[in-house]
Amino acid sequence: MGAPYRRRHARRRQAEAAMLAPVNWVEERSGLVGGIRYFLFRNVPSDISWAQTLGSAALTAFIVQAVTGVILAMYYKPDPDKAYESIQFITNELTWGWLVRGMHRWGASVFIILLFLHMGRVFLFGAYKYPRELNWLIGVGLLALGMLEGFTGYLLPWDQTSYWATVVGINIQASGPFVGPFLANVLRGGAEIGSETLARFYAIHMLLIPGGLIGLIGLHLYLVMRLGVTSPPWSRKAAGRKRDPEAETRRQGLVEPRSRRGWRSGR
Amino acid sequence: MSSLKERRAEFARYKQDVKERGKPFYPHAMFHDTIMALVVVAVIIGLTCIWYFTTSEEPGDAGLLGPRYAEKADPGTISFVPRPDWYFYFLFYLLRIFKWPESVILGTVGIPTILVLLLIALPFVDRRMERRLSRRPIAVIAAALVVASMAVLTWKGATAKENVASEALAEVPQWIEKNKLPAEAEPGAELFAGSGCLNCHVYLGGGAQALGAPDLTDAGAKNRGVEWQIEHLKCPACVNPGSPMPGFAALGDDQLRELAIFLEASKGPGGG
Ligand code: HEC
Ligand code: HEM
Repeated sequence: MGAPYRRRHARRRQAEAAMLAPVNWVEERSGLVGGIRYFLFRNVPSDISWAQTLGSAALTAFIVQAVTGVILAMYYKPDPDKAYESIQFITNELTWGWLVRGMHRWGASVFIILLFLHMGRVFLFGAYKYPRELNWLIGVGLLALGMLEGFTGYLLPWDQTSYWATVVGINIQASGPFVGPFLANVLRGGAEIGSETLARFYAIHMLLIPGGLIGLIGLHLYLVMRLGVTSPPWSRKAAGRKRDPEAETRRQGLVEPRSRRGWRSGR
Repeated sequence: MSSLKERRAEFARYKQDVKERGKPFYPHAMFHDTIMALVVVAVIIGLTCIWYFTTSEEPGDAGLLGPRYAEKADPGTISFVPRPDWYFYFLFYLLRIFKWPESVILGTVGIPTILVLLLIALPFVDRRMERRLSRRPIAVIAAALVVASMAVLTWKGATAKENVASEALAEVPQWIEKNKLPAEAEPGAELFAGSGCLNCHVYLGGGAQALGAPDLTDAGAKNRGVEWQIEHLKCPACVNPGSPMPGFAALGDDQLRELAIFLEASKGPGGG
């Protein structure tokens, strides 16, 4: 049994090396593989769980929006004479079109809800405090951009609801002090809401704001990796908590009382 | 307020704790994140299916979650409901509370700006290390108040009464009687009742007030003349600077004149 086994073993090693070759090639030239490995195997506080998934849930919803948005852009026509008809076509005729449009539409609401929930969890955990103030500010920018994305996308179906809501929305903009009227004119692209307006909303909705969102999300996640996520404030094992010196000696020293060990933590 | 030194020391402790006693992101946190991602996608697909399978191709067929689309946009009609997406409902409802012209700006621009400024200021105002909720009463109460008022306003906005054209049309004979409208004001009254005006304006107690728009029961009481009314309807912001009312130039001169005659004839009960 010895020789065939050894031969098979050698063959497997060869296959593995062949498979790893491209990975090593990329790693040698970019360090990306190491980056991914760091991302996957970095430590996070031992007491984090569901509450901290809300950020990645928001990211998931954003990815759904990006994918379905690209597909919609292949069929949607940003022209007042064709927009409504193209939306009808996508919803009623295009194969799976209803699913794509529906996911984009409901995904938007889910995204906004998740942003608020995520922000609420960050607030309750006091996770906006030093040194994460900057990431909170980036988050505020993400929330504002997310809502603007909703506002600009709302006009695109070009039906009565979306049209008149936008008329009122832009008028409100125009009633703002100082830059209000100027901004409203830029959005409208003319005296009336028409083809210029639709083209502008479309460009803002599918290029400008998504670009901004992607950039800010990148920064946001970089800071999350760099600074780490916060333990729940009520956790008895919260990372960074103040130690009372006596418990500290007990931990470093010889006895760790059983009652202090979480049954799940393995430590 | 904790000194910067204390806060730095706390963060150094945090880093050390995570390094020594943390758990690796994969598979532990990754597991939770993946389940959550699946739930998110499932919820989105679920909502889409409920939306699609309870509606038909008919514009405005609301189903359980709302129609696929309303009628095609038409600047020349005025029968519309200016309703934004739900996450703007709280603003939308604020607009009903404030009055034109004194305080509408407060609702449209002031309150959103204040909310954003509060969010930006938060980490700079609250500089203590303390994160336990029981030790942060002010933060918790303020957050609870904001959440509660946003929830109430959103709910109010969602259930706000909308003007129903057929009901308003049935009121027209009463308007004529109560407001002693002359015969030539009747076409304008019907136009007014069947249109979107009553989504922002109140007339003799009917309609819904929004954006702080004035009660039009006595719109003609100032005797500014039919021509003035037409100018205002064509471009409200040209006549009343900063007006958020939409312009109705697309209605065409004849309809605008009918509306204007009706408005000018409305002097309030008792003839004004
Ligand atoms: C989106 C909400 C909205 C709609 C729809 C709307 N209005 Fe207005 N209207 C306003 C606001 C806000 C004002 C106060 C600002 C102004 O005077 O322009 C106003 C003011 C007025 C005034 C009083 C102007 C003055 O200075 O006394 C008249 C008359 C009027 N509207 C008529 C109409 C008519 C007729 C329609 C339907 C064709 C209509 N409005 C639709 C919001 C609206
Ligand atoms: C596109 C939108 C967003 C995405 C994709 C996103 C993603 C994430 C992710 C994946 C995390 C890791 C921990 C967690 O999931 O809770 C995180 C943390 C954080 N987020 Fe967001 N987020 C978004 C919006 C926001 C908003 C609106 C705010 C607040 C205004 C915010 C503030 C923060 C802060 C301060 C942290 C650090 C939390 C900690 O240290 O515990 N983020 N974000």
